[in-house]
Amino acid sequence: MVTDNTRAPTGKVTRFVSRAGTVGQLFRHFTGRGRLFMLPVILFILISAVLLVLAGGLSYVAPFVYAIF
Amino acid sequence: MDAPFRRGDERRAADPVSVVLGISAYYHDSAAALVVDGQIVAAMQEERFSRRKNEAGLPRQAAMACLAQAGLNAGDLDLVVYYEDPFARLERIILASLRTFPRSWKQFPGAMRVQLSSKIWVLDSIAAMLEIPRGKVVTTTHHRSHAASAFYASPYERAAILTIDGVGEDVSTAMWKGEGTSLECLGSIEYPHSLGLMYAALTAWLGFEVNEGEYKVMGLAAFGTPRFKEAFAALIEPREDGAFALGLPYFAFHTDTDIAFSPKLEVLLGPRRPFAKPWDLSGCAEDRRYADVAASLQWATEEAVIALAREVRARTGLDDLCLAGGVALNCVANARVLRESGFSRVFVQPAAGDAGGALGAAMIGAVELDGERPAPMTTAALGAPLSNDVARSLAERLGLKWSAPGDVLGAAADLIAQDQVVAMARGRFEWGPRALGQRSILAAPHDPAMRDRLNRVVKKREPFRPFAPAVPHDRAAEWFTGADNDMAPYMTTTARVEPARAGDLGAVTHVDDTARVQTVTATSAPDFHRLLEDIGARCATPILLNTSLNGNGEPIVASESDAMAFFLSHQVDAMVVEDVLLTRR
Repeated sequence: MVTDNTRAPTGKVTRFVSRAGTVGQLFRHFTGRGRLFMLPVILFILISAVLLVLAGGLSYVAPFVYAIF
Repeated sequence: MDAPFRRGDERRAADPVSVVLGISAYYHDSAAALVVDGQIVAAMQEERFSRRKNEAGLPRQAAMACLAQAGLNAGDLDLVVYYEDPFARLERIILASLRTFPRSWKQFPGAMRVQLSSKIWVLDSIAAMLEIPRGKVVTTTHHRSHAASAFYASPYERAAILTIDGVGEDVSTAMWKGEGTSLECLGSIEYPHSLGLMYAALTAWLGFEVNEGEYKVMGLAAFGTPRFKEAFAALIEPREDGAFALGLPYFAFHTDTDIAFSPKLEVLLGPRRPFAKPWDLSGCAEDRRYADVAASLQWATEEAVIALAREVRARTGLDDLCLAGGVALNCVANARVLRESGFSRVFVQPAAGDAGGALGAAMIGAVELDGERPAPMTTAALGAPLSNDVARSLAERLGLKWSAPGDVLGAAADLIAQDQVVAMARGRFEWGPRALGQRSILAAPHDPAMRDRLNRVVKKREPFRPFAPAVPHDRAAEWFTGADNDMAPYMTTTARVEPARAGDLGAVTHVDDTARVQTVTATSAPDFHRLLEDIGARCATPILLNTSLNGNGEPIVASESDAMAFFLSHQVDAMVVEDVLLTRR
C-alpha cells in the first residue's frame, strides 16, 4: 500500500480526476490478472455506465435476498 | 481514551503515531474502526447512528464518531483501508453471470446497475466523505480483513484462522495461518459454494428475513431433532480435505436476486414457510417439522465448520484457532468447534460479521505503517459514550420521572432484585451485535415467566427466542460447564448449564440446557461486573438476564435520546442512562 498526499478531492475537476484514477485502477486490475479477454466486457460496461449516468438513470438498488452484488 | 491525541504536525513532531481508519460498507453492517498507534481506539457500526438496522451506506457518522473519540479529525488520518477489493468483486459478478448464463440474464442488469452507480467508486466516495486525498484510501481483500479482525484482535501470538461467510469478492471460506504480523492464506473455497449462503437460503425457506433471521434459526434448531440429515446430504457434500460443495441445483442465490433457493429445494424439504407467520411449536405439527429442518441445517453447518477446523489444525499444527465471518456468529457451532476440533483455545471477536471487516482493515493498515502487530482487543466497549448532562436535560425536557442516586448501580440492583426489568445505558456502546452490559435490558434470571414477559411485551419477538446470562468470570464454573474460554467475554459461544443449578436459571436456560453465557471481569467491564456482584449480594446468584437494548427490528440504542425513546415506547420498569435513573410515574 502506497499513499500520496495530493489535494483532497473537492470540486468537479478533482472529482473527475479521482474517478479517472479509479477507471485506471479498474483496467490495471483486469490487465494485471490475466483477464484480458474480459476487456471488451469491461469497456461495454463502462460505456453503458457513462450513458446511464448522463441519462440520470442510476439509483442504488439493494438485492432482496443477500447483498452479494 | 484518557487524553485526546494532539493534532497534525504538533502531534507528529512530538510523538509520531499512525492513525488508520478501517471502513466496511455497501453490502450490510457498514462500520468504521480506528487504530491509533497500534491501539484499537474506537469501532462502531453506522446503524447505531442512522437508526436503520444493518445499515449498508457509507459509515460517515461512525467514522466521525471514531475520530471524535480519539480527539482527531479526518486530516490526521495517515491511511484509510476499505475492507475489500471492489474490482475483484466486479470481476466475480461478471464471471459468475457468464458461467450461469442464461439463468443469470435477469439479474445481470440489476447487478451491474448497483455496481456502476456506487460500488466501484467506493474509494472515491470515501475520500470525498472524509475530505481527504484519494491516494490515502486503499483496499485490502474481504477475507483478509476478516482474518485480521480475528487474529490481530486475539490474545494469541500464533494461531490457525478460519474465515467463513456468505461471500467476499470471490471467496466464501478461507484457511489462514497467523504468526506475529503475518497472515498466510493456506486455501480457500470459492463462491457459490458457501456455508453462509446455504444458511441464508434456508433462513428464507423457514420464513425469516435473510441477514436478520439467522439467529432465530439457530435458536429454533434447539427445539427440533436433526432428522433430515439425508436430505441435507444432497444440499452440502463434504470433501476429504475439509472443504465442501453445495448441491447448486437446490439454490438460486447465484442466479436470482429475488429468491435464494430453487423449486427443487421445496421438492426436497416441502413448501417454504410463509414469511413472518406466528410460530406455535407446542400445538402445530407443521411448525415442529420446520424446527426439525432448522435442527438439520444447524447440524450440517456445525459438521462443515468442524471439518474445516480439523483440516486447518492439521495444516498448521497449531493449538489456537481464530474464527471470523458471518458464520462465526453461530455461537452454537463455535462451542462444538472448541469441544470437538482439537484446538485448545478458540477466539471470536464480537463483530465477527462484515462490520468486523472494518476493524480488520484498520489493523492491516496499522501493520503496514508500523511494522508491528496492533495490541489485542480487551473490551467490546468501543462505541460512543453518553453524557450525564445531556441525559438529565433530556429527562427534564421530556417530563420524565428521574433521579440521580449516589449509587445508581446499587439502585438498579435493588430494582432487579424486586423482579423489575431495568434498561441500562452506561458508557460506550458495544462493538458487534451483542449487548454486553453497556446497552442492555437486565432482569433476574430465575423465572421462565420473565423470559416469556420479555419476549412478548418488551422485545415483541418469537416465543422460542432464548435470553443470555451474564456472570462474573470467577463464578461462572458454579453454574456453567465450558464457560472458561476466550469467546465467552464477547458472548460468541454457548455453555452447558449445570443440571443441579438449572432451577436457578429458568429464564436464561435454553430448551437444550445451554446458555449463551457472557463472562465478565472487573477489568473488561468494571461497572457491569460491580452490578453483578451487587445482584449476588442481594439474591445469592450473581447472574443477570442480559438482552440487547432495542425493540424488535431496531438497532441497539446508541445515544441518550435513543435511550429515552426506548424508555417511552417499551414496557421496562426503569432505565439507567449514565448516572440518571428513570422510573415510571
